[in-house]
Amino acid sequence: MSAPLAISLAAPHFLLLLCLIPLGACLQVMARRRRRRHAVRLPATPTLAALARRQPRWRRWLPATLLGLAVAALALALARPERTVAVPVERASVVLVIDTSRSMQATDVDPDRIEAAKRAALSFLDKVPKELRVGLVAYNDAVHTILRPTEDRDGVRLTIEALEATGGTATGDALAGALQSLRERVGDRGGRRPPAAVVLLSDGKTTDGQDPVEVARQFGRLRIPISTVALGTPDGVLPGPYGGAGGFPVPPDPVTLRRIARASGGEAFEVDEQQELKRIYERLGSRLGTKPKREEVTAGVAGAGLAFLLAGVLLTLRWRGRVA
Amino acid sequence: MSPSSGLVPPVAAQGPGRMPAAAVNAMDLRLVRRAAGALPGEHRSPGVGTGTELAQLRPYQVGDDVRMLDPAASARTGEPHVRLQVPERALTTWVLLDRSASMAFGTAERLKSDVADGVTEVIGRLAIRRGGRFALTTCGAPADRILAPKGGRAALATMRRLVGEGVAPDGFVAPDALTHGLRRVAGLARQPGLVVVVSDFREEGTGWRRALRLVATRHRVLCAEVSDPRERALPDAGTLVVIDPETGATAEVDTSSAAVRERYAAAEAARAAEVRDAVRRAGAQHVALSTDGDWLRALGRALA
Repeated sequence: MSAPLAISLAAPHFLLLLCLIPLGACLQVMARRRRRRHAVRLPATPTLAALARRQPRWRRWLPATLLGLAVAALALALARPERTVAVPVERASVVLVIDTSRSMQATDVDPDRIEAAKRAALSFLDKVPKELRVGLVAYNDAVHTILRPTEDRDGVRLTIEALEATGGTATGDALAGALQSLRERVGDRGGRRPPAAVVLLSDGKTTDGQDPVEVARQFGRLRIPISTVALGTPDGVLPGPYGGAGGFPVPPDPVTLRRIARASGGEAFEVDEQQELKRIYERLGSRLGTKPKREEVTAGVAGAGLAFLLAGVLLTLRWRGRVA
Repeated sequence: MSPSSGLVPPVAAQGPGRMPAAAVNAMDLRLVRRAAGALPGEHRSPGVGTGTELAQLRPYQVGDDVRMLDPAASARTGEPHVRLQVPERALTTWVLLDRSASMAFGTAERLKSDVADGVTEVIGRLAIRRGGRFALTTCGAPADRILAPKGGRAALATMRRLVGEGVAPDGFVAPDALTHGLRRVAGLARQPGLVVVVSDFREEGTGWRRALRLVATRHRVLCAEVSDPRERALPDAGTLVVIDPETGATAEVDTSSAAVRERYAAAEAARAAEVRDAVRRAGAQHVALSTDGDWLRALGRALA
C-alpha cells in the first residue's frame, strides 16, 4: 500500500547545507571558550554572580536553537521537497459486479454471504471519492440489474440494499454487461479513454453464459483491471429445507477468479468473513478512485523557516534589546 | 615574590601619584574625644602615663603605681604620697593595611593598592610629628607583618619597605582577613590613639563589624574605603566572563543589556551604603577614596 504522505526531494544535494548547523554550534562554543580564556579580573564578581543567577539556562540556547531550525527548514526548502498525494482521477468509473445467485444464501459468512456482500458494497461507496462514478451490475442466471457508472450514490445504494439471492451464476455474461456499460461511458468522449475498473464478487463456479476468462481478456486489452473477490469458505453449505444442517455444499471458486484477475491485470482476493470483506472493499475504494500525484511543498517549508527566523529574532530583541 | 611574606608587586602599579608637600603639611592628626560629662575634670582623659612635667602630688590611693611614691613628700607628711606627671601627648597611630589580591585592581588612574600605599605614606608622615609614633600591620597576605610602634624617620623607612613588597598573589584566599587584622590591632594597641583602616571592605562575612566596634571603643578609627569606578558601574562591553582575583570564581555577564548594568550598579550602591552604615554604627569615621580623582584632598577633608 502506498503511504499517502511520502516526501521525496527533487534536489537533495542542497541538504548539504545542513552542515551549517553543527558548524554554527561549533563556532558558538569556540567563541564562548575564547571569552573564558580572556576573562576580565573584577573583584566585584560575587555581585555579578548573584545577578547572573536570575536568568534561566534555557533562555541562552533558545534563540540559537530557533535560528538553527530556521537554517534547517530553509535548506530543506532549497532541496524542494515533494509530497505524494492521492488525487481523484478525473472521469474515472468503477463498476461493482455482485453475484446474487442462490449459493449466496449460505451462512458460512456471517450473517449470510449476500448480506455481507451488500454491506461491503455500501462501505465501498462511502470510501470512494465523490468524483468517482460508480456503477452496479447484479447477476444470477443472467444480468438482472445494470446501473451505468454515475455520481449519484443514492440510486446505487438503494439498488444494493434491494438485492436478493436466487438462481444460478452467469459470471461471463455479467462481465460482458459491465464492459458494455463502461463502453457507453467510454464512447462518450472519444480520444483518450478515462480510467475504469471493475470489482467482481462471486462465490461459485460459473454455471451459465459465456466463459468469464475470455471476457476478462477483452478487459485486459482495454486496460480495465478486474479485482476479484472470492467469497465463502470451502465447506459452505446452503441451509437445508427445514433450516437444519446437511444442505447443498456451495464452496467458492477462487481458481477461476484468479484467472480472471490475471487476464485483466487486476488483483484477486479470497475472503471468508465479513470484516475482511469490508476491509478489502474499503481498500479498493480508496485506491481505485485516486492516483498518486507529486506536488511541491516548498512554500510551506520555507514559510516554516521564516517563522522560526522571526521567532528567534524577536526573542533576541526582547531579551537582549538588540538583534544579534 | 618576596620569600618572607609571599607578596608580589602588582602588575601595572602606578604609584600613589603626586603628594605635594604643601598639602601634606596642611593636614594634621588630632585625637578629639568628646568629654563624657559636662563638668571638666569629671573623668580622666586618656593618655595618663609617665612624663617629665609635674602635674600633682597627692596622697596614695589603692591602685597607684608604687614606683610613683615620692619619698620626700611621704617623709614630710607621714603619709605615702605619689607624684603624678603630665602625660605626654604622644599619639600612637596604627594603620591596618589590606594586602589582599582584590586590591591590585584599578581602571582609572591608578590601582587601589597605589591609593592605599599613598594613604599609608601620608598618615605615616603626619603621625611622626611632635614625637608621635607610627605602627603598621597588614591583613589579607599569606604572612601578615607587624611593624611595632616606632617614632622618627626610621619608622617611615621601615614602612616604605614593607609597603613596597606588594600585594597577595592572585588565587590566595584569606577569609575573614579584615576581622583578624582588626582583632590584632585591638590586642596590640594598648594606648588610646588613632587607628586608620585602609581597605576595600570586600569581605564576604560580617565579623569585621564587631571587631571594628571593639577597636572603636578605645581608639579613634578612620576607615578609608578604596574603590574603583568600574566596581561601581559596568560599561557596555558585550558579553564578558569575569573572574574573581582571589577565589577564581567566574561569572558570565552580558553587559550590553542596560537592565543588567543597572541592576549591577544598584547592587553595588547598596553594598557600599551597607558598609558605610556599618562603619558609622561601629562608631568609626568613614571616607570613600576612589582611584580616579584626588584621594589626597578627600583624605584631608576627612582628617580635618
